[in-house]
Amino acid sequence: MTHRIPDAIDVAVPSSIAGFLFWMDAIDEVWEQVAAELHAAFAGSQEAARQEESILYVVRNDDLLGRSGPARAMVSAGLVSGARTAALEGARRGWTANVVAYDEAVSHGAVLQRALTILEDGIITGELVHLGPGHIGKALI
Amino acid sequence: MKGTVVVTGAARGIGRVIADKLSATGPLTVVGVDLAPELALAENIMPVQVDLTTPEGLEEVRKTVESFEQPLIGLVNNAGITRDSRLINLSPDDFDAVIGVNLGATFKLSTTLAPLIAPGGAIVNIASRAYLGNFGQYNYSMSKGGVVGLTRAMAISLAPDVRVNAVAPGLIATEMSVAIPEEIRDKMVAAIPLERMGTPDEIADTVWFLMSPISSYITGHVVVVGGGRSLT
Repeated sequence: MTHRIPDAIDVAVPSSIAGFLFWMDAIDEVWEQVAAELHAAFAGSQEAARQEESILYVVRNDDLLGRSGPARAMVSAGLVSGARTAALEGARRGWTANVVAYDEAVSHGAVLQRALTILEDGIITGELVHLGPGHIGKALI
Repeated sequence: MKGTVVVTGAARGIGRVIADKLSATGPLTVVGVDLAPELALAENIMPVQVDLTTPEGLEEVRKTVESFEQPLIGLVNNAGITRDSRLINLSPDDFDAVIGVNLGATFKLSTTLAPLIAPGGAIVNIASRAYLGNFGQYNYSMSKGGVVGLTRAMAISLAPDVRVNAVAPGLIATEMSVAIPEEIRDKMVAAIPLERMGTPDEIADTVWFLMSPISSYITGHVVVVGGGRSLT
């Protein structure tokens, strides 16, 4: 599988880790970018699901809370819902789907390491895992 | 409440009941998007048939709203479609269609009409309990999750003048759900603590609550109207 990870992150992904890791882009307030981002997540997730491999989406906490505008909120929240549904489907086949939401204060390298741990875990599924304290006391259901 | 309210997906089901309910609650003009003119409608319901995924359709709704000599006080984004399939079998066209209508049209119409909504007005987006995840609905679930994200972001950007909330219906007795085979429907109902399907009226009542000044301190939230299904 081809993961989608920002070029700036200097952490090598071990080839032994199967699955699809999709790191959401910082898109602009343009519908076409929203649609393209969600479609890219779908295409990679479908390929993983067909190979019975796990899925993990990475989003920013601020985007999820709606603090970065509608476009990023739609994509990040859409990915959370997509992961929950994928998790239901994967549960019957032994693969998982999760989302990691990170605060900007957490280094991208640290985010990637946690994301890969969850992707490889095989037990955690359907979860939204927050990295950093930004979500505490906020309404995210 | 006095002014104009736009309701999309008003041709049938939940949207039709929302349009009827709002039209009956006061001196409102309801612009019912997707409504056919030949339907028997209350005098204060204005039918408009457009494709909300096109710039022309959005422009026609905007012009219709501006043609009334009263403020726009609300928008109910209800239009939606389903193309259900497991993720492994989901076609790219079905994925794009559901995202485009359920999320794209909601985003585009909201951003088109938001500048016209008077202070004190409200937007109510119809999401779905499926945003919490639903087998065989990757595209639909993702689109409704997107609607929830849009609700949060617009609640922040339009505050303090306009409130934005969402309603997430569970299994509601509409033409679509009544068409589900009885055996499957019975199993679905058995998983609902209130032991029945919801009614379109119950969704319309919740929409009315979120549109009205009664909910004047509520914004950016999702009300799940699902008979407790999310607990089981």
